[in-house]
Amino acid sequence: MTLAANSPTSFQPSTTQRRPSAQPRRSASTSTLGISLVTLASLIALWFLATRFGWASPLFLPSPAEVLTQFSAVAADGYANGTLLDHTLASLGRIAAALGVGIFLGIPLGLLMGLNRWVKGIFSVPIDLYWGLPPLAYLPLLIIWLGIGETSKIVLLSLSTFAPICFAAQAGVRSVPIERINAALSLGASRLQLFTSIILPSALPEIMTGLKIAIGAGLSTLVAAELIAAQSGLGYMIMSAANFLATDVVFVGLIVIAVLAFAFTSGMRWLEHRLIPWKGKL
Amino acid sequence: MLRIRDASVTFPASDGQDVHALDHVSLDIAPDSIVVAVGASGCGKSTLLNAIAGFLPLTEGTITLDGKEIVAPGGDRGVVFQKDTLLPWANVLDNVALGLKYRGVRRSERRERSRRLLELVGLADFAEKPPYELSGGMRQRVGIARALATDPKILLMDEPFGALDSLTRETMQQLLASVLAMTGKQILFITHSIEEALTLGTTIVVMSPRPGRIVARFDADFVRDFAESGDIGPIQSHPRFIELRQEIRSLIHQPEAARTGTLQ
Repeated sequence: MTLAANSPTSFQPSTTQRRPSAQPRRSASTSTLGISLVTLASLIALWFLATRFGWASPLFLPSPAEVLTQFSAVAADGYANGTLLDHTLASLGRIAAALGVGIFLGIPLGLLMGLNRWVKGIFSVPIDLYWGLPPLAYLPLLIIWLGIGETSKIVLLSLSTFAPICFAAQAGVRSVPIERINAALSLGASRLQLFTSIILPSALPEIMTGLKIAIGAGLSTLVAAELIAAQSGLGYMIMSAANFLATDVVFVGLIVIAVLAFAFTSGMRWLEHRLIPWKGKL
Repeated sequence: MLRIRDASVTFPASDGQDVHALDHVSLDIAPDSIVVAVGASGCGKSTLLNAIAGFLPLTEGTITLDGKEIVAPGGDRGVVFQKDTLLPWANVLDNVALGLKYRGVRRSERRERSRRLLELVGLADFAEKPPYELSGGMRQRVGIARALATDPKILLMDEPFGALDSLTRETMQQLLASVLAMTGKQILFITHSIEEALTLGTTIVVMSPRPGRIVARFDADFVRDFAESGDIGPIQSHPRFIELRQEIRSLIHQPEAARTGTLQ
């Protein structure tokens, strides 16, 4: 290929620089979906068989049919001061509030900690200290300070969602490649432009990872908190049912929590795909 | 005009023996000239570029651009990096337009100007693609277009083709020679390839390590022929080219003791 100096526009990608075609379509989710569905069906079949042939007492393992009946009963008539929807919404509300607090406090503080030595020095010790504690260990203290109502629960949950989000935002700032910052500076970026156009988007993948961890931490803390001091919520419903050995209602509660966790994970995956399709690409 | 006067950069080392990455280097880069610094690894050529870019403070000496001393990175010096530094979340066009955006240029105007630059580097059809769908050579061309977009006074290129395969590299050299002939910018180009230095430079400075300093400089103008003909073959077999290549090679490979004049 020759190039005429007076017509550089004629310069075309040469054959040595192969134009990369679209990635071959073979995403992991489609190739394992069938296998996963078969596994799920097998588990349900096993459950069905175990109860049908009486391998376990119905008191310990209720049959799928019983659980299904109980599901509609709890959904329609309620159990332990509320319908299934009431309990689910109560739990979801708490988790949403805690995630909100975690996001609105954790992201800005984490970003500042990544940018400024002083902020990092001041805040990393208290966060490190409390993050190491099991939430259930300081729940009694929160109840003594804040009472048995919603406040203590939301503070407890917020503490468990805040730390992973804050750490992730901090790690995100520190993971920005120095060459990317230098490139922006030599293109004339101001400090504010550097932050909004380079640091914030560069930190986004880490922040999303932190958010996923926060949702997991929030869910496990949520149920634990509701087991101890609550008048509503899925954890409370499970605990009440367990007191009366209503194993079928316990199963209903567990299934709802499992579905919620699955929905959160899928939602986050979708959000990641939308917000950071470039993750790990460059 | 870029003026480097007695520039030194010293890094403290863990064993207490300071590393003189750059030792009293003086150099002028005039408008319309392409200065290529060539040397083995550790000779301070990248340190020199980083100091001019403002990424690295000088321990001693001064660097001025049109009389203004350089103390920090700025938009008057465009940098093309060895590692590509394009933003993966922005498409090719927006990457090229980044510097114009920082400058507050209107969206329609910056897209228009960026589009023209993409045409110049032969990537007009890739404007809407994300950078990670481009090959390494193409990404490097986007980097060049991005550095040219803000019309900097000087272009600093840090082994921009170092990571490319030899065929792509040759194509990139052709492209660069023609672009440079058109834009007429003052340029500092860093490379460890003697052939690349001779092909692209109007001035070639040879650097040597420990301490990093300039040991020789040569004038050449193969780049004009190259820009016109676009053919690297006849240039690299020119007797003068071969002679200079041999001379530079022996300078670079000379034992340290002989070069500094101290026999061990």
